[in-house]
Amino acid sequence: MTAGDYLLPEGMTLADAGKAVAELLDVRDGRTLSGERAYYDTFDGRLHEAGRVAVWENGWLILQEVSADRVLARAQLAKPGGPLLAGDLPDGPLRASLSKPLAERALLPLVEIRNRERLLDVLDSERKTVVRMRLQQPALGRRRLRPRIHVAAVRGYDKELRRVDETLRAELKLEPTNETLMDEAVAASGARPGGTPSKVHVALRRDEPAAIAAASVLRALLDVTQANIDGAIADLDPEFLHDLRVSVRKARAVQRELRHVFEPEALSRFRADFRWLQQATGDARDLDVYLLDFDDMRALVPEPVRPDLDALRSVLATRRAAARRRMARALRSERTASLLSDWSSFLGRLGDDVQGPAAGRDAERPIAALAGERIAKVYARMVKMGEAIGPDSPAADYHELRKQGKELRYLLELFGAPLFRDDVVKPMVSSLKALQDVLGRHQDREVQAATLRSLGDAVATAADGSPAALMAMGALVERLEEDQYAAREQFASTFEKFASKHGRKRVRETFE
Amino acid sequence: MTTVLATYNIKGGVGKTSAAVNLAYLASRDGARTLLWDLDPQGASTYLFRVRPKVKGGGRKLLRRGSDPARQIKGTDHEGLDLLPADFSYRHMDLVLERFKRPTRRLARVIEPLRDDYDYVFLDCPPSISLVSESVFEAADALLVPVIPATLSSRTLEQLEGLVNGEVGGLQILAFFSMFDARKRLHRDVMEGMRAEHASVLASGIPASAEVERMGAKRTVLAGFAPNGRAATAYEALWRDVRERLGQYPSPPQ
Repeated sequence: MTAGDYLLPEGMTLADAGKAVAELLDVRDGRTLSGERAYYDTFDGRLHEAGRVAVWENGWLILQEVSADRVLARAQLAKPGGPLLAGDLPDGPLRASLSKPLAERALLPLVEIRNRERLLDVLDSERKTVVRMRLQQPALGRRRLRPRIHVAAVRGYDKELRRVDETLRAELKLEPTNETLMDEAVAASGARPGGTPSKVHVALRRDEPAAIAAASVLRALLDVTQANIDGAIADLDPEFLHDLRVSVRKARAVQRELRHVFEPEALSRFRADFRWLQQATGDARDLDVYLLDFDDMRALVPEPVRPDLDALRSVLATRRAAARRRMARALRSERTASLLSDWSSFLGRLGDDVQGPAAGRDAERPIAALAGERIAKVYARMVKMGEAIGPDSPAADYHELRKQGKELRYLLELFGAPLFRDDVVKPMVSSLKALQDVLGRHQDREVQAATLRSLGDAVATAADGSPAALMAMGALVERLEEDQYAAREQFASTFEKFASKHGRKRVRETFE
Repeated sequence: MTTVLATYNIKGGVGKTSAAVNLAYLASRDGARTLLWDLDPQGASTYLFRVRPKVKGGGRKLLRRGSDPARQIKGTDHEGLDLLPADFSYRHMDLVLERFKRPTRRLARVIEPLRDDYDYVFLDCPPSISLVSESVFEAADALLVPVIPATLSSRTLEQLEGLVNGEVGGLQILAFFSMFDARKRLHRDVMEGMRAEHASVLASGIPASAEVERMGAKRTVLAGFAPNGRAATAYEALWRDVRERLGQYPSPPQ
């Protein structure tokens, strides 16, 4: 133990506690501080997940380890009021420590409190500080949160902290709490400590009726879709739109693969509307990816030519802004609102009554049997398609295989992992992932090259366009095609691993 | 990127410990995660931070391959500033180092696993020319050399520059005047002459002061009891100069 929090028993004030501590331990009374404290994390709670916290206080944004109370890095800056990407931070240790965990995600303000705290240093016989104690009275707006005492060992003095812990529990009757001040404040503000996860993990039973299993998985996916709409519209970071689209794509895969679980007529309306939603958000995502990858693509052409691509970047940025407007209109539309609310009630009806009007002919079958059948089927289809692909096959063949790969991946994640053996599912997912990486690169390069060709006119007529810009784009197209070719060359070996004899046998034994 | 800075001089009593302790404090105050390794068996830095001068298993164990120096680290009273304490066994460090295949690489190896945890590592070195100092030269990015202005100072600095340039590449020497008295003609002349002759001599320096002497009685850094005094201000200026010479991004405004 290197740090901890304690709550005061009923009737004890912080002043009482401070007085009692001073009688029992050798302490030096430090300063009393009062100020605002703002907490930050990504929407999906990446820092929380890693046991870290980003807090702004007294002009510093600080990244801390929760368990040890250790400052990992900090930077001086004005209080961030809106989304903050790693790239927005000043160059230095804080940016370096946040770049990797944040990736494309922004830090968002979670909650802001006012905190009054009195610092007490617990000293040893040399009068050295060995434990730092903070007597805290936090408040959220006008509402006071519970007073608490936070203690943290100075590095290398854990033994002394254990003595302090004993004193606080045994003599002062304080209760240790696992809820950090941040989590308490976040919960008090009505939000959810730890953020909103974008990954869906629904526990399923093998003999559960397929309708009930499908309804709970689809309900969890719908939650992700709905949770990401506001952030996608506000463009807080590109991951909102990405997670929204992935959740819709997964839902569509479940609709397709388990189609006989649902009443056919209702299903066909939902399928049409979800397809529309996916298309309405597609351009915006493609352009996001384009701009996120721009620096990497720029690095593909020789150094002297790179500045000539700036004209292309501005054309892409303009198009992205327009695509985002269209996307926001679609997400705010009545069609989206009624789609999501109708879908939600449909799932409710399906889950409540597996023989009811929302159910199809497979609704009562055990989910393990049905999902296993589908996994085996899609896998077999992929093996067949992949075997027919050679170095000269059209790009569309690779693309079709990749689409099946996504379908299989979602089936494995949503149903394979909770229902089947880990030692079969995990290696299958990993060889599939490797294959999808190659197919993804192939398809991305295909689309990127095609987009570049189609943007020639727009760049030529843009304000900063020039023949040099077009030549640079030409050079880039060439490099993209080379890279696409390289992906083709990798295809055979990754496919072989995915469709190995041993793998096929395991799929047959496990899922059929 | 971790920067390793060693306060070094062949002679003792020139202000090495005071520089190591106060500069390390300033680094941590600016937000950098800072470690000070007290390599001097006398343990003056360790004493100033009120930490017990004890390393489990002594210097021998600490220098061994696969040792875990992180476990020996103690936090100081200042947030962000940690100490790897002195140990009386460090007086035999030369003999311990001699037994390793590449003795001069040893200290750098001990620091290696700590690089992720610290932005600065300060080494407070014992006065000598020995395997320990050669090992320090290998580990450090820059030597901070306090120089008391005297007639032979220039020659001593030249010797050190010769030694360092001959032995290890890429080690920067940053010399600064220490314990000088601006009222003394001799001091003024020596300082002027040396600054003109040696590019390694910094413009800022630390004057002789009663405050620095009182650190031993107060057992804390200057900022702890005379934050606005002449000596504390001089260290601030010195730290700015050092960072500038190291080409590091400017410290945030205070």
